[in-house]
Amino acid sequence: MRDFSYLRADSVEAARNAAALPGAMLLAGGTTLVDLAKCGVAEPSTVIDVSHIEGLNAIDVNSDRAIIGALAKMSHVADHAAVKSQFPAVSEALWQAASAQLRNMATIGGNLMQRTRCPYFRDPANFPACNKRAPGSGCSAIGGITRGHAVLGTSEACIATYPGDLAIALVAFDAEVDLGERRLKIEDFFLAPGATAEQEHDIRPGEIITAIEIPGSAAARRSTYLKVRDRQSYEFAAASAAIGLELEADGRTIRDIRVALGGVATKPWRARSVEDALKGKALDEASVRKASELAMEGAVDHGANHYKIALAPRVIARAILKLGETA
Amino acid sequence: MTVHDMKHAASDSARLEAVGGRLSRVDGPAKITGKAHYAFEQQLEGLTHAVLVSATIAAGKVIGIDTRAAETAPGVLAVLTPDTIMVLKGASDWLGNPPAQPTYNPLAREVTFSGQHIAAVVAETFEQAVAAAALVKVSYDETPAIVDLSDGTDGIPIEAMTKEWGNAEAAFAAAPVRVCAAYNTPREFQAAMEPHGLIARWQGDELTIWEPSQWVDGMARTYAEWFGVPFENVRLVSPYIGGGFGSKALALAHSAVAAAAAKMLGRPVKLVLNRPQNFTSYGGRAATRQTVAIGADKAGRIQSIVHRGVNETAVDGMWVEPLGSVTAIMYATPNFSSKQNVVRVNTVVPGAKRAPGENPSAFGIECAIDELAYELGIDPLEMRLINYAEQDPQVKKPWSTRQLREAFAAGAEAFGWAKRSPAPHSMRDGRQLVGWGVAAGTYPVRRAYGEAMVKILADGSVEVESSSIDMGQGTYTILAQTAAETLGVPVEQVTVKLGDSLLARAGVTGGSRLAGVMTGAVYKAASQALDELVGLALSDPRSPFHGLQANTLAVKDGRIASPRGEGPELSIAELMGMLGRERIEAKGDTVPAGFTPEQRYNNYTTIAMALPHTEGDYSRHSWCAHFVEVRVDEDFGTVRVSRVVSALDSGRLYNPKLAESQWKGGIIMGIGQALLEEGIVDRRHGRIVNGNFADYMLPTNADIPDIQTISVGIPDPHSSALGGKGVGELGIVGVAPAIANAVFHATGKRVRDLPITLEKLI
Amino acid sequence: MTSQTHAGQTIIDPPEDGQFRNGQATNGSTPSPTTLSLHLTINGQTHALEVEPRVTLLDALRERLHLTGTKKGCDQGQCGACTVHVDGERVLACLTLAAQVEGRSVTTIEGLAGEDGTLNAVQAAFLEQDAFQCGYCTPGQIMSAVACIREGHAGSDEEIREYMAGNLCRCGAYPHIVAAVRQAAQELRS
Repeated sequence: MRDFSYLRADSVEAARNAAALPGAMLLAGGTTLVDLAKCGVAEPSTVIDVSHIEGLNAIDVNSDRAIIGALAKMSHVADHAAVKSQFPAVSEALWQAASAQLRNMATIGGNLMQRTRCPYFRDPANFPACNKRAPGSGCSAIGGITRGHAVLGTSEACIATYPGDLAIALVAFDAEVDLGERRLKIEDFFLAPGATAEQEHDIRPGEIITAIEIPGSAAARRSTYLKVRDRQSYEFAAASAAIGLELEADGRTIRDIRVALGGVATKPWRARSVEDALKGKALDEASVRKASELAMEGAVDHGANHYKIALAPRVIARAILKLGETA
Repeated sequence: MTVHDMKHAASDSARLEAVGGRLSRVDGPAKITGKAHYAFEQQLEGLTHAVLVSATIAAGKVIGIDTRAAETAPGVLAVLTPDTIMVLKGASDWLGNPPAQPTYNPLAREVTFSGQHIAAVVAETFEQAVAAAALVKVSYDETPAIVDLSDGTDGIPIEAMTKEWGNAEAAFAAAPVRVCAAYNTPREFQAAMEPHGLIARWQGDELTIWEPSQWVDGMARTYAEWFGVPFENVRLVSPYIGGGFGSKALALAHSAVAAAAAKMLGRPVKLVLNRPQNFTSYGGRAATRQTVAIGADKAGRIQSIVHRGVNETAVDGMWVEPLGSVTAIMYATPNFSSKQNVVRVNTVVPGAKRAPGENPSAFGIECAIDELAYELGIDPLEMRLINYAEQDPQVKKPWSTRQLREAFAAGAEAFGWAKRSPAPHSMRDGRQLVGWGVAAGTYPVRRAYGEAMVKILADGSVEVESSSIDMGQGTYTILAQTAAETLGVPVEQVTVKLGDSLLARAGVTGGSRLAGVMTGAVYKAASQALDELVGLALSDPRSPFHGLQANTLAVKDGRIASPRGEGPELSIAELMGMLGRERIEAKGDTVPAGFTPEQRYNNYTTIAMALPHTEGDYSRHSWCAHFVEVRVDEDFGTVRVSRVVSALDSGRLYNPKLAESQWKGGIIMGIGQALLEEGIVDRRHGRIVNGNFADYMLPTNADIPDIQTISVGIPDPHSSALGGKGVGELGIVGVAPAIANAVFHATGKRVRDLPITLEKLI
Repeated sequence: MTSQTHAGQTIIDPPEDGQFRNGQATNGSTPSPTTLSLHLTINGQTHALEVEPRVTLLDALRERLHLTGTKKGCDQGQCGACTVHVDGERVLACLTLAAQVEGRSVTTIEGLAGEDGTLNAVQAAFLEQDAFQCGYCTPGQIMSAVACIREGHAGSDEEIREYMAGNLCRCGAYPHIVAAVRQAAQELRS
């Protein structure tokens, strides 16, 4: 790890000022930045520690919306009673992420800035080519070991999978990210690689995430996050789905449904085609499975990740069916 | 000759402390409080830190190393390259064969595998060394690499692995029922939680190495030969080892770099491999491929087994993973043929990982017999009993003990095997397909000669000394129990000192041999010490027992008295005081009389003196049967092990509490092997891309169910002095095939390539 | 411009030349890493140390303060061997900068037993259940288990397994770790 200077900010304003310094990077929980600095991927000249800023870790939830401060810890949000009752998918996405220790460190704002786990991205010494790290250098993953790579939202420049869980739930429920001067829909905050793989977020120099807001809804209250992976725990998703469901009074017709996918796309992936196919239809297994296949429209595999095209619709379907079974 | 009464009062604590008692680990308190200092946690004045620069190509030449930026980086003391590091002497191998080359350079100009060490940076702090190492620029002339087994030719035949009797090919061709399939295991890693590393310090021409080690005397010999100093000048210290699993028995290239750097700088050097380097700097289990063909009659009796195996080895080093070891002995067959080749690929030399040979061998034969069972419609457990080998089919000698039938019976009973629905894909729980599988395992009893020092001190306490080690198997504990029982003292009066080459010598801790070797040596040393104590007590005029009409004395709970109760009873400390003795010490060994010093040296510093497990009249092995339940998600293909019952025959257990832990540990490593673990090589670079704990996945706590182990062993007098057989490797052997067989039962899909990941079932 | 070299101080304005090293503007030549003077509270005691900003809490503990009970297994947040408590919550010392925890309270395995040596209930249960073999992951397991119970995540074996999944054990002590956490949780509840 190259050396850097360390500064603490005790207000958002101070942090914004310091973040404008060349080579400055923000440090909240440290689970991404310190890790990537050790890998040689992140090379900050100045680290701005924002973790001591007060008042940014509030969790404020009612039936209309949740406002979660950027410095709230993943573990605290996961265990928050009102989050569990009003936004179960958010809580489930959080507690199934990483490990208890990492969730005690990582913040909600930092989690949105989490970088991909692509092994080529993470190893610059052995794999110099990576368009995310060095624009124009190429993609080492294409033609390599692609078992974990994305099948949706890829480009010739990058096939790296977005690794997170929380943002999948946030995308499903139309959350917004508060950048101070600007507010963005989470879906727009994350950028697919296209020709500019290095740009993962719509965030500008000097901007800092201060909070996220999630609108409340019946679908959010009846929601779940299903994560499928090789290992039972402490692993990124092979495929995951955040689902919200609202049924009509008849108890079987779908009034509102939210479908978002993780582990298979270059960004948190909202599957509106599945939602559209199911809205107004009766919830039955055959139609759910058929509609779930629509999520894979346009999917492109790179060999070893082909299984994700089969797996992801099953994850969606099972999550919907599970919600349908709960009263 | 004096005769000792070693019988204890039948108190609970005595039972707990005696050999065979469930005493908690005596090194436990240090480990749970953070006070146990592992080898490279020693704090030394003037310690410097070294970090390695590793090859980023798999094959080729180093044509330039630009060290300028690193040399001027803050805190840097030296940048070592193949041209600037001191040249060492060649060292003999672990069999004691003399070196192939007279000199040895631990930094490479000719690259034969990705991750090979090219340079090293030494700096005042760890952070400075890491940062400067990143500034070293290496340029290469890269050549094409051979990356896996399938790239090469058929490889090199290893004639010594050939085992044949009868006419296997013809008998297979004539058999009415035949199965034949190929089974593959990938490159796997030991992945001990403590990384490899060391601290090296020179004082004049004396070298001290603090390094986690499964073999302090063998490694000390290597250092002595590298640097051309007498063996006695090297002290290797390894008080605790944070897991080895076969990987920590040899001094390796990084060890040489650290010791050379310390010599060159005149300061102690600490070098610890980072986690990715732990996947490329030493060998894990070689990737293997086996073909197993079994021919049987319609009643399921095996007529022939034809087995062909191949494992990968390195371009510049040889490793043979004996793939026919279990194949040849598990089942009775009149006709048998096993042959093995190796294929050279651009990898670090593969090495020993828990049950090398037996583990992949069992995966082949134990899946194949399962396939035969389904082919014939015979219950897989019944299939194994039909073909039960009543003697060693290969060497035609009786087993010393073989409680495998008992293991099948006890395991089946506890598991509820009789309630199994025979057809594949016939048991489910909701959307989970349920499968039950069985497989057997075995591991040979490896024996060697050992020695130990036992000291009775003036205060009545006892010290046991040995350069053998404890990497979690429980050496500290069972040797304390052995000494306590032999001497008749409470176990808390016994201190065991291990892991220091200054102490009584010991051979390698590997192949599940240590407990048998060392309990025998400690028993002998302690008996000698007791002989001397009792002898003095009866003969020394200062002793209150002097003149007593007794020819022996008994020691119980640390107190010594006549066995008939006449005369005084005193503590050992009181007696030692009266005798005016500071200590009584005895070095006991099990080495044959007449061994020369050279033979003794070779006994402890090579593996050439080990006794074959089929020596003499018997074939000696430990045995086990694993019963496994898996749940396979019908949509996702994810496999989770939900139940394990294993019945194991390790002979007499010196401490069942610790033996059960080792068995379970082996079973859990087997679950990882079956479902998760695979070193994945990028073919373009010849490099492992998942060399870290997020991508090379070990099982987590959440992957492991409760595991029931049942001991079915009986004391085996032919295997060790106290009747034990091997424990540590046994547990893993047979787990992967039991799981693969259960997955077949659950799904009807036979997966013959480990690990069984979801895309193979989706 | 207002700034301080000491951690815990606030940066108000960036320097005009755009270069900024540990709170001090430089002329833009080679960065000159400056050490920080930290006061860390570890196991109730304050330790003063001078370290570079990049030094992690793990390396500060092991290499500077000689508190080697906290283990380095992977040094990249993937094994849990370095688990310590910061303000009572379990975190990974390998991904925490030493500078980050100034002003917070750090507890390591060395600080878990009572001053008289009385073992924490979790430590005692680990010994009794033989919840370790080589012992290298053990301090992290124990620190994690203490927090797991305190968090209320030791309600069932299934929950213990999930909430202890961040601590890898290669010796395979998992079933015994579950038994130890279950036992300690029951003792602490009663």
